[in-house]
Amino acid sequence: MIRVESLHKVFGPKPDEALRLLAEGRTKDEIREATGDVIGVQDVSFELKPGEFFVIMGLSGSGKSTLLRCINRLIAPTSGRVWLQTDDGEIDVAQAGPSELRRLRQEHLAMVFQRFGLLPHRTVRDNVAYGLEVQRVGHAERVRRADETLEMVGLGGWGDALPSALSGGMQQRVGLARALAAGGKVLLMDEPFSALDPLIKMQMQEEMIRLQRQLGRTIIFITHDLDEALRLGDRIAIMDDGRFVQVGVPETIVTEPRTPYVADFVAHADPTGVITAGTVAVPPEHPRVDELRREPGSRVLSHRTQAEVEIEVADDGRVLGMRADGAGAELVPIDTLLAEEAPTSRYRDRAAVVHADRTLRTLLAARNVCNLPVLVVDDEERLIGLVTEREIIHAIIEKRGHNGDTNGVTA
Amino acid sequence: MNALLTDAVFDPIRIPLDDWFNDFINWLTFNYRPTFQAMKVPVEALLDGVSAVLLWLPPIAFIALVAIMAWRVAGWRIGALAAVSFTLIGMVGLWDLTMVTLSMVAASVVVCLIIGLPLGILAARSDRFQGGLRPVLDVMQTTPAFVYLVPVVMLFSIGTVAGVIATIIFALPPLIRLTDLGIRQVPEDVIEAAEAFGSSEREVLFKVRLPLALPTIMAGVNQTIMLALSMVVIAALIGAGGLGRPVVEGLNALRIGQAGIGGLAIVLLAIVLDRLTQAFGEGGAAKRG
Repeated sequence: MIRVESLHKVFGPKPDEALRLLAEGRTKDEIREATGDVIGVQDVSFELKPGEFFVIMGLSGSGKSTLLRCINRLIAPTSGRVWLQTDDGEIDVAQAGPSELRRLRQEHLAMVFQRFGLLPHRTVRDNVAYGLEVQRVGHAERVRRADETLEMVGLGGWGDALPSALSGGMQQRVGLARALAAGGKVLLMDEPFSALDPLIKMQMQEEMIRLQRQLGRTIIFITHDLDEALRLGDRIAIMDDGRFVQVGVPETIVTEPRTPYVADFVAHADPTGVITAGTVAVPPEHPRVDELRREPGSRVLSHRTQAEVEIEVADDGRVLGMRADGAGAELVPIDTLLAEEAPTSRYRDRAAVVHADRTLRTLLAARNVCNLPVLVVDDEERLIGLVTEREIIHAIIEKRGHNGDTNGVTA
Repeated sequence: MNALLTDAVFDPIRIPLDDWFNDFINWLTFNYRPTFQAMKVPVEALLDGVSAVLLWLPPIAFIALVAIMAWRVAGWRIGALAAVSFTLIGMVGLWDLTMVTLSMVAASVVVCLIIGLPLGILAARSDRFQGGLRPVLDVMQTTPAFVYLVPVVMLFSIGTVAGVIATIIFALPPLIRLTDLGIRQVPEDVIEAAEAFGSSEREVLFKVRLPLALPTIMAGVNQTIMLALSMVVIAALIGAGGLGRPVVEGLNALRIGQAGIGGLAIVLLAIVLDRLTQAFGEGGAAKRG
């Protein structure tokens, strides 16, 4: 959908000289010394599939906003290519002529801004219709599509209001609607929720997830908030000092931070919504799981921290049963357990079954209602591993905590 | 005497700037008078058109129109003020002269807009152009009007049109300055957003910059109107018609009453125009929130 190749942005008087020095392997400080140039973005490449939600995370000054603006050329990149998939084949935004650039921005590259960027003298409807207006879409069609999009972002009926009458969260919904109404397949979002209250921010993130499921746009989303990145991103790029230091799915970022910079970020992130049950669970082969005895076609296991609980697993991996306190326990899917009213004391006669793709948060919920090892299973209901408090605590501490203990983090 | 003696100190390095200035204006008059006379034509046409309409309109209709417009734009108080002011002007026998003055003000402001808006827009776009324009505007604004009345007369002859041209020179600078300022003050993030959606420069100018600069530009229009009114009496010195005439004649003949009612009419006109244009500007500002 979009393919960025070796993008550089140099600010300053001698960009070509700076690029040459950079290619020679000089450091940024040396280059600034020699040319007075500042490297904003250094050799960034990535490729996005249609419908992908790509989050670029970094602190202020890391170059993330500059990078985003290089993609629609609000800032002209010094070198590199930005290939955009269109009906006429791939077009390089970085090389497009003025009228072609305008067309690409109109039809393909809608943008949402941190400070909303709404036109204060226009009604909400006319703001949302702005992109269509510059595309020369007729008035009636513009109004129809603007109202439709406002409905979609939950602002139906606000079309005649002026932006100043709206709260910050609502103004950003207008900004989002304006971008969606323009119709482009690629959505550039520059810290869109950073200016909002934490509660509103959460709502907007959920809204964003819902809309994305519905619309399937290709999104490049900038943030300085790792929790936000983890919640929204299909893939996350961590940016530092103008470069991508790590790119990966949220779980890899949290569990395998590749540099101290990323680890530092991860140390302050909430892992419960990211780490999957499959990685938390201890597999039957793990030393913490004992094989009590073998039986024909099955074996009986127990978890060291809850040795009194016996789990019988068939040789094909299906869980046959669980016994605790001398009685059989019922195996219940976690969603069934959570749908019921929470018990006054945790179950000892029912065990939770959780799919490997669920998150640490689900495991916590499971342990909250159920005092038996949680069974983590795959698509075919085969046992992947067991989870007790021990694994949950380990996951929370180890995957977050990098300071003083790099084991398990760099693994 | 003393002063003369002190001046003598500079005799060895004295420059005859007054003569040069004289020569320059004479040269300009001799060679380019037709050009300047030609420049009068559009101004004259505009002036004649406006004054023809204003003098044709029955006073009752004019008062009703202005009052309704003022009421719609600025509320019933200003509407009432406009109605009372113009009725009073009619009652003291200065209706026709007021209409002439109003058409002079209108013609100057229209020409100021035609010249000033594009110059203001250019100044906002280019620091160099702004830098070059600024001293010119300073000179236009600070040179006492009496100083350029003579060259204006020499180049444009005497009369109402020459008065309008002198008025334009004096009243133009604030409109340019405030157009420039208003456009430069438009927040960068709004412009960036407009560009991100593929607006052309033209669209950014007309859909974003000018609308957002409008309150400031209206403040400039207000200033220009006020300065144009303040030139009414001075313009009468070079033969312009309108309310300046009874004031100048009253001054020459020491007819206090005649000068007084002329002054009163000018003040009433100024107040009504000021409130009206301010309300226009605030209307834009209120919409912006």
